[in-house]
Amino acid sequence: MSHLIELLYPSMLETLYMVFVSVFFTILLGLPLGIILVITDKNHIVPIPWLNNILSYIINITRSLPFLILMIFIIPFTRLIVGTTIGTTAAIIPLIIAATPFFARVVETSIKEVDWGVVEASISMGATPIQIILKVLIPEVLPSLVLGITITIINILGYSAMAGVVGGGGLGDLAIRYGYHRFQKDVMIATVILLVILVQLIQSTGNKIAQIINKK
Amino acid sequence: MIEIKNLSKIYSKSNHKVVALKNINLSIAKGDIYGIIGLSGAGKSSLIRCINRLEEPTDGDIWINGVNIVKLENKELRTARKNISMIFQNFNLFSSKTVFENIAFPLRLIKTPNSIIKEKVNELLKLVELTDKANVYPAQLSGGQKQRVGIARSLASDPDVLLCDEATSALDPKTTKQILSLLKNINEKLGLTIVIITHEMEVIKEICNRVAILEDGCIVEEGPTLDVFTSPESYVTRNLINQDQLLPNEYLKGKVLTLSFTEKSVGEPIISRIVKKFNVEINILYGKIEYIQHKPIGKLTVQINVNDDVLKNIILFSEKNHVQVEVLNQ
Ligand SMILES: Nc1ncnc2c1ncn2[C@@H]1O[C@H](COP(=O)(O)OP(=O)(O)OP(=O)(O)O)[C@@H](O)[C@H]1O
Ligand SMILES: [Mg+2]
Repeated sequence: MSHLIELLYPSMLETLYMVFVSVFFTILLGLPLGIILVITDKNHIVPIPWLNNILSYIINITRSLPFLILMIFIIPFTRLIVGTTIGTTAAIIPLIIAATPFFARVVETSIKEVDWGVVEASISMGATPIQIILKVLIPEVLPSLVLGITITIINILGYSAMAGVVGGGGLGDLAIRYGYHRFQKDVMIATVILLVILVQLIQSTGNKIAQIINKK
Repeated sequence: MIEIKNLSKIYSKSNHKVVALKNINLSIAKGDIYGIIGLSGAGKSSLIRCINRLEEPTDGDIWINGVNIVKLENKELRTARKNISMIFQNFNLFSSKTVFENIAFPLRLIKTPNSIIKEKVNELLKLVELTDKANVYPAQLSGGQKQRVGIARSLASDPDVLLCDEATSALDPKTTKQILSLLKNINEKLGLTIVIITHEMEVIKEICNRVAILEDGCIVEEGPTLDVFTSPESYVTRNLINQDQLLPNEYLKGKVLTLSFTEKSVGEPIISRIVKKFNVEINILYGKIEYIQHKPIGKLTVQINVNDDVLKNIILFSEKNHVQVEVLNQ
């Protein structure tokens, strides 16, 4: 048992580290990207159709690559950013690049839920585009955004299991090394249980928060 | 106050065009409660939404307090909009904000200090009688309460003009009356100019001192509500006014007239005078009393069998005695 914990504990920390940092940057990049996708539409508050088209195109391309392939494909870019191509930190870059377009689409879908009448009301009160984004669009869909973030975290957790490929470590890597290559079933099972618990925890926390802030 | 000059609005979608407004000219005075009525698709929403440029006018000018709204750039337009508030059919409240924060919103946009916001919002809550709902979210309010929040929110920036786009269409008749009397009250208390778009004659009758009738993107008639009601000039207007008194066709034989009795003519035995003076028989088909801005107008629809010359004289005689005549059938 203690041998299991000794194995699981550092892997778990690696996973949490990868997921946490990736989620942070994914939100940082994906939220504005998703908002820009909505507001630059030709019928929205800052119509810039060409920008909208380009962004949409790039996002679609990125999203059509399987994570494993994306991770290898962007190795030169990863080296440029973090100085190395292996290790936990190196795994974070592809995680962010894979999750950001996904999250941007999630944000886009959420923000589009805002009733246009409410946006018009804000316009009629003389709100600037920035004010509309910060004081209307985001607050109005916050519960849905929280659920979107929840899904994104779980997605990133899933991707992070593949990070073993670039020596990223983490729970997925552990399961492959011990459970698969060394036939240690107990490690495999413990990892799976841990991942299931993690996902459940994230989802139920997300649901709870969304429920509390939902005023509709 | 508001001068609309040669306003046109054309919606162009790829290859086909919809002309929603054709060369509209309107003049709305300070303190007016100005009603614009028309059937669905007449262009009412297009017209009112051009006034604060939620829709871009295709052509024409809109002067408000000496400023041509059509010519303003983004920043100046935003400033001007603080002076032109709007309330909506679907209320358009912020579901994520409390009643208090909804009303405070226009003040937060201009970074008003909290102490002033508190004072102002509480004052507005009192005005719309929702003080006890300050910390409630819109989802917990009835339609009438939501619209009162909408009204309070629209007043927060101390506007000169209030635009109402079908503001009572989602409400039941009783709640509609309450909202209209609130608007009237605000109009009197704050001297606010109110523009009301509606397809309901009741709304116009209840509070508008002037009315314009819109048909197919054109104004077909315009004037003081009382005048338009007692002597409508256009067919469209007559239809709108008489929505509730469609006579069966078999009664529309001979000359059918509707006589409108206003304050000046009640108490005069006009009908019996006509009978004596012209030696005719009058058959009364329908009668009712309407209230226009709380002033009673008696309406009597009658049938007379006379020739055109006598009819003309009867009309002249009636109008001399302050009875307006509308010929329904001749
Ligand atoms: N965004 C738009 N794009 C294209 N055509 C439009 C648009 N908005 C309105 N129209 C057209 O312009 C005309 C006038 O519409 P408008 O909404 O102003 O009428 P309305 O009098 O407000 O009608 P209702 O009582 O049904 O609200 C209609 O023929 C309508 O189809
Ligand atoms: Mg309309």
